[in-house]
Amino acid sequence: MPLENHEKARSLLQRSLVEGISPEDRRWLDAHVAQCAECSRYADLSARAVRALDWFAIELDPAAALRVENVVRSRAARMRSAEAQAKSLWIGTAVAIFLTFAGSAVTWRPLAWLAGQWNLPSRVWQIAFVAFWLLPSLLLALLPLFRRRLLGEDSDRDGQIV
Amino acid sequence: MVAVVTAFSQVAEPESQSIARALRRRDSEFIGRMVSRYHYRLLRYLVYWTSRREQAEDLVQETWLRVLEHAGQYNGRLRFEPWLFSIARNLAIDHLRKRETATARHGMRQEDEAGLNLPAPDCESPFFAAARSEDAKRIAAALGALEPIYREALLLRFQEELSLAEIAQVAGAPISTVSSRIHRGLSMLEAALGGGADAA
Repeated sequence: MPLENHEKARSLLQRSLVEGISPEDRRWLDAHVAQCAECSRYADLSARAVRALDWFAIELDPAAALRVENVVRSRAARMRSAEAQAKSLWIGTAVAIFLTFAGSAVTWRPLAWLAGQWNLPSRVWQIAFVAFWLLPSLLLALLPLFRRRLLGEDSDRDGQIV
Repeated sequence: MVAVVTAFSQVAEPESQSIARALRRRDSEFIGRMVSRYHYRLLRYLVYWTSRREQAEDLVQETWLRVLEHAGQYNGRLRFEPWLFSIARNLAIDHLRKRETATARHGMRQEDEAGLNLPAPDCESPFFAAARSEDAKRIAAALGALEPIYREALLLRFQEELSLAEIAQVAGAPISTVSSRIHRGLSMLEAALGGGADAA
C-alpha cells in the first residue's frame, strides 16, 4: 500500500476528531482503516487519547461550590439593590432639578415686580436670585448624588452606591 | 448538518437570551442556579489552565463576580459558554502572569517567552491525583507537560464540545491556530499512549 495513503489516513483521522471530514473522505478512511492494521491501531490510539481526557474527572467539593454560589448570589442581590437605589436617586434628582427650574420660573415674575417696587437695579436682583434661590436649590437637588462621596463612604466595585 | 445547526440555534437562542436578561436584571436566584450548573465545568477548565485545584476554586468565584460586573456586555446572541470561558481564561492568564512574576522575583527559573508555561508535573498535580491506571498516568504526564493553551484547546473541543469557532472566540485566536493547537495536543497524547503501549 502506498505510503501516502497511510499519511492521508492519519491526517483524516485527526481531522475527523477536530474539525470533521466530508462523507467521501469518511468512506475512504473507513475502507482504508478496515484493511490496514497500522492505521487501525492509530485510529484506536486517537480514540483512546480523546477518551483519556475523561479520566481526569475532578471531584467536586459541594461545600466549596455552595460557598461560591452564596457569594455570587449575595453580590448579585447587592448590585441589584444598589442599582435600584441609584435609579431612584437619579429620578429623584431629575424631578428636583425640574422643580427647581419650574419654581424659579413661577417666582421670577413676582420677584421682578417686587424689585420694581423697591427700585432695585435688575442686575442686582437677578444676581441675588441666582445666588440665593437658584444655586442653593440646584445644590440641594444634586447633593444626594454625591452624598456618599462627600462623606467618604465606600462604594462597590462598579463605583455604584451600595 | 445544516438542519442540526438550525435546530440547535433554535434551542440555544431562548436560553442564551434568558441568561442575558437574568444577568442584566441581577436575578440572584437564576444566577445562583447558573453558578451551580456551570461550577464543575468552570472548575475543570480552570484546573486545566492553572494545574492547581485551590487556585482554580478561587478563580471560579472571581469569574462569576466578573460576569456580574460585565453582564451588560453579554447580549445573548451567542451561546453563554464561550463568553463565560473567555472571562475565566483572562483571569487565569492574569493569575499565571502574576505567579510567574512572583517566581521570577524569588530568583527561580523563568518560563518561556509566552510567560504562561507551568512547572513540570509533579505528584501533586490534579491530573496525577485523578490518574488511577498506568494509561492515565502516562496521559497525566503528557497533559502536565503540555502548555496550558494546548490543554485548553483539547478540553474545550473534546470535553466541552465547543465548535472551533467558539474555541477561537474563547481563546481570541484564529480558527486555524486553534485547530493546530488541538492537533498538536492530540498528537502529544497519542504519543504518550503509543509510547506506553510500545513499552508494554
